[in-house]
Amino acid sequence: MECKLLVKRLSMLSMTALLTLSLAACVEKSDSSKPVSENGEKVLTMGRVTSANPKLPQGDSYEDNAYTRIVNEKLNVKIVDQFEAEGDDYSRQVALAIASGELPDMMRVDSKDELKEMVENDLIEDLTTYFDKNASDYIKEIYESYDGRSLADATFDGQLMAIPASIGDEAPNMIWIRKDWLDKLGIELDTDGNKAITLDELEKTAKAFLENDPGESGNPVGIPFGSWLNAGDYGGSVFAMTAIAEAFDAHPRFWLEDNNGDIIYGSTSTNTKQALGVMADWFEKGIIDPQFGTRTWDDIIALLTNGQTGISTGPWHIADWVLFPVRTMNKDAEFVAYALEDENGKVNVTHNNPTGQFIVVKKGYEHPELAIEILNLFYDKIPNSKDLKTEYPEIEKYGKLGVDGSTRPFSIEVYNSDKLLEEFSYIKQAIDGEIAIDDIPSAGVKIDAQSVKDYLDNPESAETSTWSKYHSRMHGLGMMKKLSEEDKFVWTTPAYFGTTKAMGKKGANLAKLEEEGFIKIVTGTEPLSYFDTFVKNWESQGGDEIIAEIKAELAGN
Amino acid sequence: MVQNKSFSGRLGKFAIYTFVLISGLVCLLPLCNIVAISFSSSEAVAANAVGLVPINFTTDAYSMIVEDKQFWRSFGISVQRVILSLIVNMIIIVLMAYPLSKSKRQFKGRNIYMNLIIFAMLFNGGMIPTYLVVKNLGLLNTIWSLVLPGAVQVFSIILIMNFFIGVPKSLEEAALMDGANPFQVLMKVYIPISLPALATVALFSIVGNWNDFFSGLIYMTKVSNYPLMTYIQSLSINIQELLKAGANASVLENVAAVSNRNLNAAKIVISTIPLLLIYPMLQKYFITGIVVGSVKE
Repeated sequence: MECKLLVKRLSMLSMTALLTLSLAACVEKSDSSKPVSENGEKVLTMGRVTSANPKLPQGDSYEDNAYTRIVNEKLNVKIVDQFEAEGDDYSRQVALAIASGELPDMMRVDSKDELKEMVENDLIEDLTTYFDKNASDYIKEIYESYDGRSLADATFDGQLMAIPASIGDEAPNMIWIRKDWLDKLGIELDTDGNKAITLDELEKTAKAFLENDPGESGNPVGIPFGSWLNAGDYGGSVFAMTAIAEAFDAHPRFWLEDNNGDIIYGSTSTNTKQALGVMADWFEKGIIDPQFGTRTWDDIIALLTNGQTGISTGPWHIADWVLFPVRTMNKDAEFVAYALEDENGKVNVTHNNPTGQFIVVKKGYEHPELAIEILNLFYDKIPNSKDLKTEYPEIEKYGKLGVDGSTRPFSIEVYNSDKLLEEFSYIKQAIDGEIAIDDIPSAGVKIDAQSVKDYLDNPESAETSTWSKYHSRMHGLGMMKKLSEEDKFVWTTPAYFGTTKAMGKKGANLAKLEEEGFIKIVTGTEPLSYFDTFVKNWESQGGDEIIAEIKAELAGN
Repeated sequence: MVQNKSFSGRLGKFAIYTFVLISGLVCLLPLCNIVAISFSSSEAVAANAVGLVPINFTTDAYSMIVEDKQFWRSFGISVQRVILSLIVNMIIIVLMAYPLSKSKRQFKGRNIYMNLIIFAMLFNGGMIPTYLVVKNLGLLNTIWSLVLPGAVQVFSIILIMNFFIGVPKSLEEAALMDGANPFQVLMKVYIPISLPALATVALFSIVGNWNDFFSGLIYMTKVSNYPLMTYIQSLSINIQELLKAGANASVLENVAAVSNRNLNAAKIVISTIPLLLIYPMLQKYFITGIVVGSVKE
């Protein structure tokens, strides 16, 4: 009996011990309610967009890293994160913060509609005077490089309600072709050296790859496309038909203004129909992957990696993240990028949505000017620092480590519109020996230039990471530079980038209609004339309503 | 005729066995595939070449996980959560199921409580009101935000209640006759006899808490506080969706670096180990109820 009692007591004791222990072990909690911390620093609470792989050095976190420490040092501000999350989870945290009525002092908003809602509900601070007074000349210049499109996006009734991100143009959509295969088969593309090829040349190349199987896979397939076929911007145009549409001056997924001043939807234009006609023709001939429509993202990457196909479409940066397994599997793999030109030898492209992301300041926050100060610091002073090593040694170290940009307080990019071309010029000059790599002002570009140089010094044994940089910079950006120098681009500025009410309600349905319709036409399940049916359905199922809304909104501005 | 019958009987058996075998394989093969991927080189995985056998065998993925501090931190948080939830759940389940298993004569108002519970099970507050409650109680970013919202497992309570109702009345009467009070009856008669059922609901609680990632996403505002499943979920990113949303070059580059399929497979494999260890431990309680043979009719 005695023994049993002891056991009971012991188990009771351990139970309570466990409970108290776990009470004490509550995960760390930060106090974000105080406007000023003990030593007189201003406290700034933020919603932060994170990345799954920030590459922060040991001991650093989103809340406490070289960037937040610089803010603390220069502006006497302590950044406290009210929440950190990425992607959808971030949007959810923002929604929860709005619902609970406790917005952080500053945070990123990822769409114009969300911004509009916040303005309408009077949740955020007017930044007009602070921007005019505090923003540096360089920052103002950046925004001016968009002819006002960028700031206008964040302006409501003449008041600047947010700091817009500004992403430069990333056009065109490029055709990436295995250069080692071209050499092997003795195919000569782009004999005039203007970096643009015609549809015929592309078709012939794909055919030659199919017939000769230069990848020795035993099962070559045609050009792979993603079932989504089109993207709303150039950055996301991987495995998309954007380049082929460009050859017909078609701009699917963009809202455009036609010659009569009417708003049209790019996907429903007759030019898009022509492009789909070519796609359907190619599918029938086998130029396009016969399993188009059913391949997943990973499947397409596998086709490229296995050497079953050697042609892929995508933006300038796909070598950095899509094509690199090709080289890991096959040391000889090399790509070259071309644009597709139309009958007149021009490349038809559209401007990207210049903004898309915004930094907002909570209504009633005591120091709204801090938003502009942080903007100046991270997008003017630091990138334009003459001597990063001595002025901001920690940040220089971060650049070398490749720490992700999301660890900066504002996870947005503020570039002028031709930033990419500028970057390329520096790299090119450094490679040609006109300037020393150390003379490149931006730390990031310095690293890129070094990678490209490392690759060119010894292409066979170079690391795949340098292979990637070489391709994305010298081929990708190099081609953009060449085309703009030769004045081959014909730019279209889309009329509208936002989301209207009807788009919110019916957009998903219409997008599905479009995707399925296009797949049917390309695979030949429906003839090309089905396109007109699609357009009719699209118009009646909400398209007309959306266009009317856009017109009303544009007229209202 | 006889031969014919036994033939059709054998055929039936064969069909059943084939069906069971196929369903078993359907469950097992994806798991084998994940294990094989976790031991393959990342190039082989990118080429979609891995089936059930690892290609270019390597344990790189596992050595990378050993160095992933956040993984182990989240692992610890998940273990802590499962243990706490198990204790809280079991106490509440037993203490609620016992009185509710009594008849209306013994426990006046039983039906009111019962209806309240069922009502709460069918109609809950929804995500945002629940979030606001948790937030206003100051539980955000604490382990309790993962434990307390799921403290009352109505389904398990009803299950155990029904089991208690099924326990022969004579057992309880005998104990009462010997001078036991109701609490002693519960501890000495009902609980020992209900071990199989209790083991089942314990397993529900463990598996449910271990696998749940959503509450971590909502109640934990920092990645460093994520439980394991939330952390793993945050690593598996759908590039296609990301492209549709329009992401910039540096984001995509980063995603490609993380969506390392063999590394993620290794994480999944490690995350299933604790559950694989717990099943055999609870197995012995699933042996048919002890009720059989306790009462002589």
